[in-house]
Amino acid sequence: MYGSAKPSSLGNLGSLGGTASPGRMAGRRAIVTGGASGIGLATAQRLRAEGAGVVAIDRSPAEPSLDAGEPITNVRADVTSPAEVANAVGEAAQLLGGAADVLVNAAGIYQIRPLLELSPDDWDQTMAVNLRGPFLTGQLFASILIERGQPGSIVNVGSTAALIADPAEPAAHYNASKAGVLSLTRQMAVEWASHGIRVNAVCPGVIDTPMLRLMDDPAAGEAYLETGVPLRRLGTPGEVAATIVFLASQDASYLTGTAIVVDGGTTAI
Amino acid sequence: MSGGLRGVAPPGQHRVVVTGAARGLGEAVAARLAADGASVALIDLSPDVTATAARIAAGSAEGSESGRVMGIVADVADEQACEAAIARAADALGGIDALVNNAGIGGPSTHVIKTSFADFWRVLQVNLGSAFLGSRAAARIMIGQGAGGAIVNLGSIFGQQGVAGGAGYCASKGAITLLTHTLALELAPHGIRVNTIAPGNMATEMHWEELRFRAAASGTTFDEQVSLIADGVPLGRHGTGADIAGAVTWLLSPDSAYVTGQTIGVNGGVWLS
Repeated sequence: MYGSAKPSSLGNLGSLGGTASPGRMAGRRAIVTGGASGIGLATAQRLRAEGAGVVAIDRSPAEPSLDAGEPITNVRADVTSPAEVANAVGEAAQLLGGAADVLVNAAGIYQIRPLLELSPDDWDQTMAVNLRGPFLTGQLFASILIERGQPGSIVNVGSTAALIADPAEPAAHYNASKAGVLSLTRQMAVEWASHGIRVNAVCPGVIDTPMLRLMDDPAAGEAYLETGVPLRRLGTPGEVAATIVFLASQDASYLTGTAIVVDGGTTAI
Repeated sequence: MSGGLRGVAPPGQHRVVVTGAARGLGEAVAARLAADGASVALIDLSPDVTATAARIAAGSAEGSESGRVMGIVADVADEQACEAAIARAADALGGIDALVNNAGIGGPSTHVIKTSFADFWRVLQVNLGSAFLGSRAAARIMIGQGAGGAIVNLGSIFGQQGVAGGAGYCASKGAITLLTHTLALELAPHGIRVNTIAPGNMATEMHWEELRFRAAASGTTFDEQVSLIADGVPLGRHGTGADIAGAVTWLLSPDSAYVTGQTIGVNGGVWLS
């Protein structure tokens, strides 16, 4: 009973984001959208370190690996385009030697804009990348697995912005898009559970990625970390990646429709 | 079983206490942690915990990297007994890095108007009181060690939604969520993370007892009650100890180093439908 799950490493308490458990994802084939940078790149690397085959789908070229390994294989595509998504998922299957059974929707954009200055185009673009994208990739991914009768796992990247409002960084369109991601996650979970497809989300808080704006003003950023984050530091992309890979793995075998908050305790305040 | 600590940390580096570990979810969690190379102290009111610990120790001794596994008989809902048991675990393991507050009882399945105050209060004392006492004792030790740590409290889907006949149980498990929040805030400066795992309908003796009760009360069979529950779970089955152990192991590992104050449902999606 206990031997069925490949144990994750308990690692050292002092290391952040843990240590890859070699083999936990062996034999799995993963697609990571937005896998060229930030949380997506860290997730692609963690999946690879645990034995999965990985293809990133990103509209930008892959950035150099953070882990000194080979660059993650990247298929260029815009996740808002059904045709480009279909082509990219097909190309990924060829590169992976079979249909993917792990999908991580990490592609996303973030723009600070007060509501009174928010244009319809701003709104539409953010919704397209952050919400339409996971819908398109998730629908195609699941349809292929269901047709083949294979189980799989989807992890969508939400945000603590889906849960709380923030007067300091006004981004109603982003917040709403991420709240939509959580709703999409729950509905995917119930519609596809009987096919053995688990669907979960992570909600990162302030994570040290290129998308982070908090530290643009270092003094204000540090002040926020002291008062707004119980663990008093930024999270790392590796810590979010570790949570995503946990959710994709057999260690999370009975989790579906959940959203795990990775925020250093911010939303517990 | 493969030891997840190979090449990462020496055997026994993680010293974990699991309460309510003689059987069920607690036993599964302890077994998984031992298989991953942790030293584990199992605490339970039942003297069976000694045999459970011996069984786990024998199982993980097959690998060369197992830590120490020991059983302690104690009532963790009693202040003195809980303090003494945690202290004994710390002495034997050389410290405590993590605590899993799993001890709990279901209590009577009766509506409030037919429930004695003593029965109601007993459920809170065991389910909530033991989590308070265990966390307090272990946190004091962890703070003294100065190396951080992790606490996982076992809540329940019935701490997130009510169920007729479950006043004491639901109240105790709902309170676990806010005890976790509070502990997370108080202990964050010490690098100690505190989270709740909220299982759904689990294939445990405690749940089977409840279903036998419902079957008798409704004139149906036990099997019908099991199917009734499983059919309402999107993933179509009851959860297992291994399901919970996977989530607990993750919450005790550095993989969740930025996760604190959270309640994580391990319920097969049941709350969604």
